[in-house]
Amino acid sequence: MTYALNRVTVPVTVDEEKCIAAKGCTVCVDVCPLDILAIDLAKGTAYMKFDECWYCMPCEKDCPTGAVHVDIPYLLR
Amino acid sequence: MTALSIQDGLSAQLMQRMTDADPEIRRIALMDLADSEDEDLIVPLLIEALQDVDANVRAEAAAALEGYESEAVVTALIGVLTDSDPQVGANAALSLGELKDASLGGVLLNALDASSGYAKAAIFRALKELKVAGSLEPALAAIADADADVRQAAVGVLGYLKDPRALASLSKVATQDADSEVRRIAVGALGFAPALAVVFPALADAMNDESWQVREEAVMTLGKLRAENAVPQLIAAMQDSYWQVRIKAARSLGRLRSRAALPALCEALVHPVSNLRKEAAVALGEVGDPAALPALEKALEDPDPDVRKLAKLAMTQIAR
Amino acid sequence: MNTIEMEVDVLVIGGGTAGPMAAAKAKEKNPALRVLVMEKANVKRSGAISMGMDGLNNAVIPGHATPEQYVKEITVANDGIVNQKTVMKYATSSFDMIQELDSWGVKFEKDETGDYAVKKVHHIGTYVLPMPEGHNMKKVLYRQLKKRRVEITNRLMATRLLLDEGGAIAGAMAVDSRTADFYVIRSKTVILATGAAGRLGMPSSGYLFGTYENPTNAGDGYSLAYHAGAELSGIECFQINPLIKDYNGPSCAYVTGPFGGYTANANGDRFIECDYWSGQMMMEFYKELEGGNGPVFLKMDHLAEETISTIEEILHTNERPSRGRFHEGRGLDYRTGMVEMHISEIGLCSGHSGSGVWVNEHAETTVPGLYAAGDLACVPHNYMLGAFVYGKLAGESAAEYCASHALPPVDNAQVEAERKRVWGPLDVVDGLPPGQVEYKLRRMVNDYLQPPKVTRKMEIGLQRFAEIEEDLSRMSATNPHELMRAMEIHAIRDCAEMAAQASLYRKESRWGLYHYRVDYPEKNDADWFVHVQVKKDANGNMSCFTRPIEPYIVALDEEEKTAYQKLRIVKEPAAA
Repeated sequence: MTYALNRVTVPVTVDEEKCIAAKGCTVCVDVCPLDILAIDLAKGTAYMKFDECWYCMPCEKDCPTGAVHVDIPYLLR
Repeated sequence: MTALSIQDGLSAQLMQRMTDADPEIRRIALMDLADSEDEDLIVPLLIEALQDVDANVRAEAAAALEGYESEAVVTALIGVLTDSDPQVGANAALSLGELKDASLGGVLLNALDASSGYAKAAIFRALKELKVAGSLEPALAAIADADADVRQAAVGVLGYLKDPRALASLSKVATQDADSEVRRIAVGALGFAPALAVVFPALADAMNDESWQVREEAVMTLGKLRAENAVPQLIAAMQDSYWQVRIKAARSLGRLRSRAALPALCEALVHPVSNLRKEAAVALGEVGDPAALPALEKALEDPDPDVRKLAKLAMTQIAR
Repeated sequence: MNTIEMEVDVLVIGGGTAGPMAAAKAKEKNPALRVLVMEKANVKRSGAISMGMDGLNNAVIPGHATPEQYVKEITVANDGIVNQKTVMKYATSSFDMIQELDSWGVKFEKDETGDYAVKKVHHIGTYVLPMPEGHNMKKVLYRQLKKRRVEITNRLMATRLLLDEGGAIAGAMAVDSRTADFYVIRSKTVILATGAAGRLGMPSSGYLFGTYENPTNAGDGYSLAYHAGAELSGIECFQINPLIKDYNGPSCAYVTGPFGGYTANANGDRFIECDYWSGQMMMEFYKELEGGNGPVFLKMDHLAEETISTIEEILHTNERPSRGRFHEGRGLDYRTGMVEMHISEIGLCSGHSGSGVWVNEHAETTVPGLYAAGDLACVPHNYMLGAFVYGKLAGESAAEYCASHALPPVDNAQVEAERKRVWGPLDVVDGLPPGQVEYKLRRMVNDYLQPPKVTRKMEIGLQRFAEIEEDLSRMSATNPHELMRAMEIHAIRDCAEMAAQASLYRKESRWGLYHYRVDYPEKNDADWFVHVQVKKDANGNMSCFTRPIEPYIVALDEEEKTAYQKLRIVKEPAAA
């Protein structure tokens, strides 16, 4: 079977300047009900890994440094 | 650090992060700490963290102490209400506001004298839920405070306490305070009055308040008190410039089953705002006077289905 | 990947609303019990109320409403198909629950004297109790779990229940969505609290995760119960809700209602005749939406500035706080414009309608040792407070069961078969991507099951669902997260099949839009005044059958049964 690579914009963005994942913070990853966020170990910051966001916002509300921003997914905007 | 040696239950790694030189690491460690099980281990460390040099760490600790109820916690939280960083104070106020254990009221009361402004308001807000008798005197004293925030909180305490000894002062606040939100809270607080006579003049006065929300509160409170002799004022409120106030007046008049209100209620049946027409129909049903039937009959033609239904329901009630 | 074994007394599956309450109450009943909450996400922020809730819309508070009035109201709203004992149990327990939650720190609206500020919305009773500061709900529940030392595992998805020789509960099996480790959890009892089947239909946006319900609630519990041999009930009574178009979240007319906001047509006029949130209301909504006066809006532009600020504060901090951001993006201000509304995709949910796992008034299912509570337990219109009440009942019932039952042995055959099924997609090379299978399945659900229901369409739907069943073993998962999605699709497919079978079985129309069958357009009480149950039969096939309605404990006279209809005075259109 062959696969295509599709580009999608993601609603959850992380300000890499503010993110403190490198220091052990995993709050946004922990609270996401859909488990779509992950830590990029090379960069030491969080990012949206799976395109399955419910725009529910605990990641943004609970982030200790205000690094996470949730937009409404483009398809619904 | 002092606590290190006794923290057998917590991992050495977490303890190390708690004292890391980097404040962000200390903060994350605090969040992890708050997740661990043993209250006896957590609380002293959180209290200690309230004195951290970093404001974010202190704020995190103040928030994490929510739900822990002990004298030591309350004392420590009160101590940081006046922190140089406003977020620390705000989080401490929120955590204090969650207190449920009335036996901690004494600690809060003892702190009142030395406090002012934001901290004082926060202590009163924490006391409100606890409903401890000892808060009567300080709350009565604080209704003269220069800070409107303190007055709002103090008046809130008096409303929840439901102690009739506060009614005279509340009546005064309800009509004379410079802050409209303080007046509104006081007007609502008068709703616990065991007898109407004491509070009636203040409520009647509040019905002419310049703020529509105070007038609305007054009209609701009169309904709650089943204030028969307030009917003329309530009928007058059916002409208020805000339909929101008229709705509450209609509701109160319905509760009082006031026949005298019939013309005013029938008039409201044709007001442009359908929310008011609905409430007028309900009230007419409660009053139960057949004289309202022709007006209700007309309301059966109303463009709004809710008004039609409620008019029909009212007619059924009157027929009974 | 490892296989991990655990042993507990009470296993609660789902850590949202009912689950934490069930665990807390089981532990309260007997602190010696080992109680585990198994959550697919993270207990701190999971379930339908991950961001809190803005109010109770079915509070039965003394002085405002009586349990009898409430039971009557729900009986009428659910077109008579209720086990009144279960509704009565809720109604008589709900005020105690409000007070208990209050003592835990949940904030309900009170007037300035500390009395509950109950709002009047319905004609018979008075049920709305706002929670303007309801965003702390999950924090409060989490604190109780910690206080009572309830064990918690996050990121574990239950895939099948374990049964003993006699068909009673022996535990559950689960997969870790981070590691793909396989869990065998032996337990005396299981409490299902997995929420609605919210990923059944596809939102009209086509975005799979833009569902009305929290999309984590994929219907796992419905599937778990079905494969354990439990009876499910009212599955044909779909959940369809009014919501903000495209955003696909609740507009919360019941929040704005007490402030004077309402659902209106394009002319800004009210049009809904029905009084209770029900299928009948949705039918009226649907007709207006599709009719000449459509579409439908939430109207608030007539309210005072101060009122609108208050509404914004509530709606934009609770339940679905990104509502504010959505409106901002479209340039909509409640002060000047109306909010365009739509109807949701279909789902299964007892909290809103009446489709769920059959339970009695003790939260017992038809499988010994298995309990259910919350959106997936069939107590009509139970909402959040009902989830708490039935969570409590389930926890207490399970604790009692534990006292007289030993831990059953594990049947290795069940474990082997399930591990093979669960790990299967990891071994498939170049298989179907789960996302595509889900997209196709849920599009078929929309095409063939979305009301109005048509017999032939639903039959074709069943064929498609059978074909997709063949596809399930062809899915491949490239990581544990994708494996979780693949296993969810198994559950979604089970729900789709149950929805079609139950809908075909009930040959009448009932519950307004929820079960509007075009080829049987009338309600038929003579033949269908019964529950329709779905169950896996002895041969492993899906079977439907009827269950008689238990005699009412609160009688309704003819007048009351038709009270709503009689109140409606439909205006005849003026002659042109």
